[in-house]
Amino acid sequence: MTAGDLHARARWARRGDIGLRVVAAVPLGYATASLWAMALARILPGERTEATVTATLIALALCAVAAMWAFAARSGWRALWTLGVAAGIAGTIAWVSIDATGRL
Amino acid sequence: MSKGFRQSQAFLHTWSGMLLGWILFLVFVAGSLAFWREGLNRWTRPELARIEQPMRVLAGSQAFLAKTAPDAKSWFIPIVTDRMPGAQLFWVPQPKPGEPAGRRRGRGRRDTQALIGADGQVAHARDTRGGEFFYRFHFDLHYMPVIWARWIVGFATMMMLVAILSGIVTHKKIFKDFFTLRRAKGQRSWLDGHNATAVLALPFHLMITYTGLVTLMALLMPWAVVANYIDERVVAAALFPSAAAVERTGRPAPLIDLRRVAADAERRLGAPASFIEVSDPGDAAARVTVSQSFGSMLSSRTPRLAYDGVSGRLVWRSPMPGAAAETAGVMIGLHAGRFAGYGGRWLYFLCGVAGTLMVASGLVLWTVKRRERLPDPTRPHVGFRLVERLNVAVIGGFPLGVAAFFWANRVLPVDLGGRAEWEVNTLFIVWAMSAVLAFVAKPRLVWSLLFAATGVLLVVLPFYDIVATDRGILDMLARGDLVIAVIDATMGVFGISFLAVAHRVARHRPSAKRVRKLRSAEARVLEPAE
Repeated sequence: MTAGDLHARARWARRGDIGLRVVAAVPLGYATASLWAMALARILPGERTEATVTATLIALALCAVAAMWAFAARSGWRALWTLGVAAGIAGTIAWVSIDATGRL
Repeated sequence: MSKGFRQSQAFLHTWSGMLLGWILFLVFVAGSLAFWREGLNRWTRPELARIEQPMRVLAGSQAFLAKTAPDAKSWFIPIVTDRMPGAQLFWVPQPKPGEPAGRRRGRGRRDTQALIGADGQVAHARDTRGGEFFYRFHFDLHYMPVIWARWIVGFATMMMLVAILSGIVTHKKIFKDFFTLRRAKGQRSWLDGHNATAVLALPFHLMITYTGLVTLMALLMPWAVVANYIDERVVAAALFPSAAAVERTGRPAPLIDLRRVAADAERRLGAPASFIEVSDPGDAAARVTVSQSFGSMLSSRTPRLAYDGVSGRLVWRSPMPGAAAETAGVMIGLHAGRFAGYGGRWLYFLCGVAGTLMVASGLVLWTVKRRERLPDPTRPHVGFRLVERLNVAVIGGFPLGVAAFFWANRVLPVDLGGRAEWEVNTLFIVWAMSAVLAFVAKPRLVWSLLFAATGVLLVVLPFYDIVATDRGILDMLARGDLVIAVIDATMGVFGISFLAVAHRVARHRPSAKRVRKLRSAEARVLEPAE
């Protein structure tokens, strides 16, 4: 393998890594923030409309934090699975809560 | 903060800012202009007299609607101030049998609206969208369904928030950088300019970006509502409460004088009222709902009072919103800045201009930085050329389109069919021509050409107003109508600035010495961002 081949391979690896991070930042980041909006809307104390609005306001900021994390994580794969786990936790909370007490 | 974290955020800052920068530039320009929405609404209708007696306009509005739309489902009547051109009324006709009664259907339809002038009569002004165009374009763009536009603008706004937060991380010496302004030093000057406009108004940029997302939150982030409510109308009713609906009786009864209702509402609210909605006017079940003025408080959720439309008895007052709803209302209020007086508006406007310059200098910095590293700077690759040309087309072309819009408002024939839309079309035609020019001619030539053309249009306009209208700066100063005079003067000042920039760009010669210096390894180490 020549030095040129190695260089080209490194470049493609970098592009792949960036691609994974973009997927983590945009669709997955939005999904994670959305599921946390649902979970927080269920578990925040107080009146339901109040909890709903508070959860929405927090989730908007979470979108930006998720995008920053997607690029700060050590690798693209790591960004994907950490956000996936965060989304899974929120999804579980929302699912269990809606299943238990239903919606208004 | 680790070096790796900062580098990752520098990459994110560069690309999130660059890819959506052009949209953000448009949104910043239109949003900054929209802070002068009311002033521009008056400036674009020079034939209208200034309002001196708001209650006379209200009486005229009621008389007009009673004659024109006596059996409407509802009337919507603004209570004017001397900042407005007149009362822009609209009404919703009774739904025909079998037709769903949509509250918003009346909006935007030409045959169900009218403008009442200072004398209480229907005003005949040139057909224009005035300042409303910039307000709408700021989030609805143009020539496309508004929902698409709001998703595009919402996505760009989220990228902006990401770019700001990652930008703060990237520029570790942010406050030291702010006091550093190296003039005529190529890339370093662009970086300093970008930092200065960003840091100078940083609290504003963060506030305006996040609160901008909040204004669109029902569209962008509906999931908290979905988690709690099967029917989202339940939460809408809880957040925007209104008096219980009453059935139309079919028995005619005269509507109370709306001036009396407005005066009573203002006394009870202890603040000016700005909007009246009348449902089922002329019926025994008529209701009059009065809203407190946006200008009187920070929150966009202003209190409302509902009256019996026949007796004038108070029947309902809006409940106090909860803490979270009030927070969201205050954020939307902060974004729109309607609470601000003239001093506050100037602060908003200048911060908006700083934001525009921040986006523009960031976009230019992307090319300046990469030009030095190109294998052959005289023949850049396709991606570089595309960004360079798009920068010229958007940063140079859009302001020229805006200047052309103001001229179209003055010179298009008054009886032209679809005149208001042609003013807007003028903006986009001029912009499109600028974009074509940006892609066929040398960037440096087009930069200076477009800036010079914008400058000339804006500098000449106040003089045109002096010569061709009775609303020149001197007339308005003499009449004590400062707003119109200040808009003319501000256009002149911006025109001079555009001419100065055009002059600088035309004179600019990249020095061979600087190119050599920047190519040296030392210069590369100094670069803080990707």
